[in-house]
Amino acid sequence: MPTDNRRIQGPEVSTPYCLFRCSTENQGKIRSSSPDFPPVRKDGRALLEHRKIYVKTGVVSQAKGSAYIELNNTKVICSVFDPREIPNRVEYSQHGELYCVLKFAPFSCAMRRAHQQDSEEKELSLNLKRALEPAVCRHEFPNFQVDIYVLILESDGGTLAASITCAGLALADAHVPMYDLVTAASLGVVRGVLVKDPTEEEEKVCREELEGINQNHGLITVSLMGAHTQITQMWQTGSMTTTCVSESLTHLIQSCEEIYPIAQRCLVKSVVDTISKKKISEQ
Amino acid sequence: MELLTDQGLRLDGRRPNELRNIKCKMGVYNQADGSAYIEQGNTKVLATVYGPHQPRGQARNRIHHDEALVNCQYSQAVFSAGERKNRPRGDRKSQEISIHIRQALVAAIRTELYPRSQLDIFVEVLQADGGNFCACVNAATLALVDAGVGMREYAVACSASLANGEVPLVDISHLEEMTGGPNLTVASLPISGQVALMEMSQRFHSDHLPKVLERALEGCKDIHRILDDTVRKHVEETGRASGWGQVDRAGIVL
Amino acid sequence: MAGVLLSEAEKTFILHGVQNDLRNDGRSKQDYRPIELEMDIVTHANGSARVRLANTDILVGVKTEIDVPKSDQPNQGKIEFFVDCSANATPEFEGKGGEDLATEISNFLRSSFASPLSFDLKTLCILKGVQCWILYVDILILECGGNLFDAVSLAVKAALHNTMVPNVETVAMDGGNVDLQLSGDPYDCWRLDITNIPCLVTLTKIGEHLIVDPTAEEEECSMASLVLAVTENGRINSICKTSVGSLHPQTLSDALKVGAEVGVGLNKALKEALAREEKRLQADKPERFGFLK
Repeated sequence: MPTDNRRIQGPEVSTPYCLFRCSTENQGKIRSSSPDFPPVRKDGRALLEHRKIYVKTGVVSQAKGSAYIELNNTKVICSVFDPREIPNRVEYSQHGELYCVLKFAPFSCAMRRAHQQDSEEKELSLNLKRALEPAVCRHEFPNFQVDIYVLILESDGGTLAASITCAGLALADAHVPMYDLVTAASLGVVRGVLVKDPTEEEEKVCREELEGINQNHGLITVSLMGAHTQITQMWQTGSMTTTCVSESLTHLIQSCEEIYPIAQRCLVKSVVDTISKKKISEQ
Repeated sequence: MELLTDQGLRLDGRRPNELRNIKCKMGVYNQADGSAYIEQGNTKVLATVYGPHQPRGQARNRIHHDEALVNCQYSQAVFSAGERKNRPRGDRKSQEISIHIRQALVAAIRTELYPRSQLDIFVEVLQADGGNFCACVNAATLALVDAGVGMREYAVACSASLANGEVPLVDISHLEEMTGGPNLTVASLPISGQVALMEMSQRFHSDHLPKVLERALEGCKDIHRILDDTVRKHVEETGRASGWGQVDRAGIVL
Repeated sequence: MAGVLLSEAEKTFILHGVQNDLRNDGRSKQDYRPIELEMDIVTHANGSARVRLANTDILVGVKTEIDVPKSDQPNQGKIEFFVDCSANATPEFEGKGGEDLATEISNFLRSSFASPLSFDLKTLCILKGVQCWILYVDILILECGGNLFDAVSLAVKAALHNTMVPNVETVAMDGGNVDLQLSGDPYDCWRLDITNIPCLVTLTKIGEHLIVDPTAEEEECSMASLVLAVTENGRINSICKTSVGSLHPQTLSDALKVGAEVGVGLNKALKEALAREEKRLQADKPERFGFLK
């Protein structure tokens, strides 16, 4: 293996100190709060309440288009660059391609992330690509690719959903021809109870905590093109019955539709801002 | 561990000049232009041939105007050996074997018949138990015949070793490879008696070389017979509907 | 997927066939093609299986090794999926050509095995925080004739069923080192519990209809397909959309219903096939067909 001299190399194997600190404290916390986990959430939200969303476009001046999204502690930034010819490709491709790279910043999670893309990031990148592809008019730029870079600055649950919404806005901001805006939302199921927009801690509980056999648990992320009511991507893990999945689906579509006007307003605002700026400069 | 017992038998009970049990089949897959599967003892290899076709991708820059471009890839399933491999291909050893297989096959293929085209040969070792290279060459030959690629004759490979400093052994198994005798691998064109590739590891006195080589070439001839039988049977089977291989009363092949 | 070229007329023909519930090969919309299964064909692996679904050929080998558990899950073993798209399937897979497809399949397998309800990693723990079993599930794709996901999952489930994990006789901590003694008898092994391991069901949308087990040609005609991981009792372990198109919510819920139903049937059929194969292998000298059949 060639060594990388430009970055700080940590030891090959290390154990995060939290494991030792939390070994008694944290487990106790979950256990004591577990009977009332479903009704009360730590941040005081109702079970089916989405976190407040802040979105902004045009945050990276170097990029053709960019967007920033904040869901409380989940913060994601995305930049989209001009279409360029697909590199290392001999055959002509009828459709343009999206090249998505999703990266967690090294400081974004409890554990330090490596600089190289790991398998989780690759999986999320692929899901992001699949979520955006149906919305982009790919026939308008044959044999070209649009580069989409998503950087997760801070991760506190719902990272995929936030990335999709953010990347959709950035694409629109970059004037890439699209059929519709894409918005996404996530939902967790724990002991059969639905929890909208779970945080990292809640996601962990949804993934692991079980009480007896045949309990529904898991996570679902859905992305939607609001104007056409078309689901562009759906990603579920865990174990649940079909009725539970369908029920979650209705809630998720509702969330996506709630996010849609927020994204629209953000885009309108950026257009208005550009026009007014132009007027000022003309005067 | 001794390679040869006092009774003159090898570790797996074979005689010095005895090959491992060979089973082969042609036309395993429909999608490929040619395919073959071979079992040499516990070594199992699958080979497929695509082409000759128009050169694709990066190969376009390497077109030959007077002969076909032969492209070979050797890969070994990660679960094929006793110890799990990290990756199936791309390491130095598999690249070296790819080049050797290509060398052995190019000697037999009539590349001049297919100018400006490309021929892809892919071999996959499903289970490795010594003599991977030999099994790969033999499987690839069968696949080429199945694809109907013009060839001078069969390219056949076989390995040989030397036990107790005097007795040459044919068709070396993994256990014998590990026990550490010398290993001579020969790819030959058995009818014309030409050697296409020869490789040796470890050492023995040069006086022994002729008899070890002789043993390996003998092995090649034996394998050639088995491969040829398979091809004949396969052709007879596939061509039965059109009346191939039928003999009329006078004993003349129709 | 691989080098299938279809004209518009051929696509229309397939589309009309699906509309009339009579596909090119005479199947109806929810029929599978014949599936062949053979277990225990790679002697160097702890468990192996080969599944042939018409033209799709998958070989899976499972190897068990001893490893150190993750520090945040000290009482769990590990399972790793590795997919290798052999260039035998299509020249496009040569070199690194098949890697994208391979990661997609292995990622989906990992997420469908993630729930402790379907596969309990705790059974793979030997000594908490010190030693555990790691299962390497290596999947080799030898030919693609459509519907890779389903075939891969069947082969994986069969290979895990066939996997023998050696029994550990004694474990003791000797200072900082672990003293581990495996059973001397190679037949003294335990089997994994595969009851709740899901099978994957791909539903492909052609026109307005959903079909299962698409051929390569049918995949070419479709814009959207959905993969579901369905367990024996009809629970959904994972869902993912795997193609470029999008789906209406109504289509999606239809797909869920159909997929769960088909998945239960598939699991049942596999269970029966495994029992039959098991019986055949227990016979005196079972014949090994491998690729010679």
